Amino acid sequence: MNADVLIIGGGIQGCATAYHLARAGASVILLEKDYIARHASGVNAGGVRLLGRDMAEVPLSRAAIQMWQELDDTLQGDTGFRPTGLINIAVDQADLDKLHARQNLMQAAGYTHEHIIDRDELLARLPHVNPACVGGVRSDLDGHAIPYKATNAFRLAAERHGARVLDSCELHALRRVGTRWLADSTAGRIEAATMVNCAGAWADRIALMIGDNVPLSHAAPMLMITARMPQFAGPVVGAVSRQFSFKQFENGTVLIGGGAKGFADRANNATRLDYAKLAEAARTTVEFFPIMARAAINRMWAGLEAYMPDNLPVIGPAVNAERAFHAFGFSAHGFQMGPVVGQVMADLVLTGRTDFDLTPFRIDRYDRKVL
Amino acid sequence: MAHDCVIVGAGPAGMAAALTLADHGVRPLVLDRAARPGGQIYRAASASPLPDRSVLGADYAAGAELITAYTASGADHRAEADVWHVGADGKILFSTDGGTCQAEAREILLCPGALERPMPIPGWTLPGVMTAGAAQVMLKSDAVVAEGAVFAGSGPLLYLIVAQYLRLGVKVAALVDTTPRDNYLRAAPLLAGALRVPSMLTKGLSLLHEIRQAGIPVFRWASDLQVLGQDRARGLRFVTPKGAQEIAADTVFLHHGVTPNPNMTRALGVQHDWNPDQLCWHVRRDPFGQSTLAHVSVAGDGGAIVGAEGAQCEGRLAALNMLCRLGRIDRATRDHLARADLTRLKRLAGVRRFIDRLYRPQAALRVPQCPDTLVCRCEERSLGDLRAGFDAGARDPNALKSLTRCGMGPCQGRQCGPIVSQLLADWRDEPVSEVGYYRLRSPQRLLSLQELSRFNRVHPAPEEAQ
Repeated sequence: MNADVLIIGGGIQGCATAYHLARAGASVILLEKDYIARHASGVNAGGVRLLGRDMAEVPLSRAAIQMWQELDDTLQGDTGFRPTGLINIAVDQADLDKLHARQNLMQAAGYTHEHIIDRDELLARLPHVNPACVGGVRSDLDGHAIPYKATNAFRLAAERHGARVLDSCELHALRRVGTRWLADSTAGRIEAATMVNCAGAWADRIALMIGDNVPLSHAAPMLMITARMPQFAGPVVGAVSRQFSFKQFENGTVLIGGGAKGFADRANNATRLDYAKLAEAARTTVEFFPIMARAAINRMWAGLEAYMPDNLPVIGPAVNAERAFHAFGFSAHGFQMGPVVGQVMADLVLTGRTDFDLTPFRIDRYDRKVL
Repeated sequence: MAHDCVIVGAGPAGMAAALTLADHGVRPLVLDRAARPGGQIYRAASASPLPDRSVLGADYAAGAELITAYTASGADHRAEADVWHVGADGKILFSTDGGTCQAEAREILLCPGALERPMPIPGWTLPGVMTAGAAQVMLKSDAVVAEGAVFAGSGPLLYLIVAQYLRLGVKVAALVDTTPRDNYLRAAPLLAGALRVPSMLTKGLSLLHEIRQAGIPVFRWASDLQVLGQDRARGLRFVTPKGAQEIAADTVFLHHGVTPNPNMTRALGVQHDWNPDQLCWHVRRDPFGQSTLAHVSVAGDGGAIVGAEGAQCEGRLAALNMLCRLGRIDRATRDHLARADLTRLKRLAGVRRFIDRLYRPQAALRVPQCPDTLVCRCEERSLGDLRAGFDAGARDPNALKSLTRCGMGPCQGRQCGPIVSQLLADWRDEPVSEVGYYRLRSPQRLLSLQELSRFNRVHPAPEEAQ
């Protein structure tokens, strides 16, 4: 098989990259070792969050949030996106101080999408919040989507433009021969001019195949979802300084995240849950929203996600290989950026440049001299 | 501190295992969801609300004796202890008294029992449609019956509940038997094997005789079943070789066999194999019931369908093996003590093969035939919804679940799981074993955030701790 571009990994980054490339006329093959969105892209909390982003990510994330507003139309699909807004709750003065310090930083950079709210506004927007909370910060363009649906919508749109997406197809070996990439895979030999590494928690292994070392680690953030409850929370809810986050979907179910980690068993393609930590998350949730005490937990799960030491992704060209690019290591907040990262990768592949400053996301940012 | 052995489920398998363990000085912690031991088959056998328990049959009475012996065995029995997680690390979480308890075990025996095979005919989700097993639960626990019901399907449990109703003088509208004519021909060569346990066959034949003698309408070779009614069941329509039939009834009991309840063993991650004879997944085990996780054994219908007597044999065998693993008996003793049960199981397997072939459910009744028939009751997903998901690229049960929400409800796919795997196998034109099953997780039941947040540990009594 031959293609202009070979993409490794069928998560949202890989599928969005496939979509943007195929739409621009490139021939694309995407390899996915399990099925589309099997890990982080399919089982994450579905938060579409611009609020509270690292300053380095704000430009990308701002562009992405605009794309999300029209993504269903763009892809002619159903991503499940709902712009419900997002509120991070402040529990005390220290939290408020933190918010004000960030506000100054944001204003200096010319960003105006985060709004600090007082206790009255918090209670008006979230009537069931523990009244001891003192305020918070909101962002109105944020919301949530259905991870698997969103990723699959990119995949289907990419396929409509001619991209070939190969499920259950593992990359065994990859090497550069002359001006071509030569891949051995479950589906046989594939040749491509360019390769893009979007392999999530496995991306360090792909990077190694082409000569790039990267200090990637992986973890298994845990989630739980309740049976249907009466509607009580419109916006996505988080906390300024506590491990706590949830959202209520239209069908009444409540997804509780917050970042507690289970056990990541990458070798076996699996995760295990840490129930004592989930019990802690349950306590925190009930503390913030007493109405949740009787909520019935229906399912609990975790997904394998890739983390960089600074919690910033790797986005950009490979340093030790020609015609190779990386997009991975999103450290549990990459879902929202998927649409724009796909665009950036397509621009890099096709034109060699992008409008965004990718310096903070260089793969070699941890390379240093031997002391 | 850890228990030597924790048994999950106090049905025939769990109780028999506890008795064998007690014989050798090991006091197991037994966690059971019900208020009283007995499992489904001996539900309330020790405290029946019926004035005359004998209408339920001699087997049920024998269950009462097993319960008495079990109760006297000294097992640490916890009633209403609802296990919702069993981990490969030997930790077991259960809900009790409004909180969560964690127990730890060197050896774990899972006896999760069976589920009734779903029968997704048009109207199967209407109020008034229940399973034969539900009829049994109502009868055993609360002495409640449904007058004028129609019973449809095939298999021993269906005939048993009809006979029990008739003994109680309850009016039965009809028995609609879906066992295909062809099954009799195909089961015939297996009859010799079944005759090695003549008592089982006699029991079955006498049930059928009893029903025939009672003079209720019995329709054989039925197919194309459909529950009538808009807002609730009003009757059953079906086709026999004599033509289309309709029976009016407010209650329709459906049944066409049982399958192992897979949720706990699946969430635990032990290996399962597709069994084409029983048309269900079996837990992969050695002859002593040891799963692919050495410290976890599975006994009774939760591993593979063996019936109540087979479950007791398996329970005892698992107990012997766990005693050996705990160093309480040596391997030679284990093998010696196991002989009788292994022999008995082999004989019972002959009967089982015959029953499985004779009552093998019709393919057309195992998966829905109409696009608007529901597959997933919890999330209300129809055959048409699933086909649309498949056409949108979801070829794996988990991908289909992510896309359509089928299987995301509180039953964790108990109802739709087998149907989805079969549908995908048909659509992909591959065997079910290739398609696989939902990737399941704990909890195995709904639990409230408050229950989860009240997290305790349970330890063995000090003199037992090693």
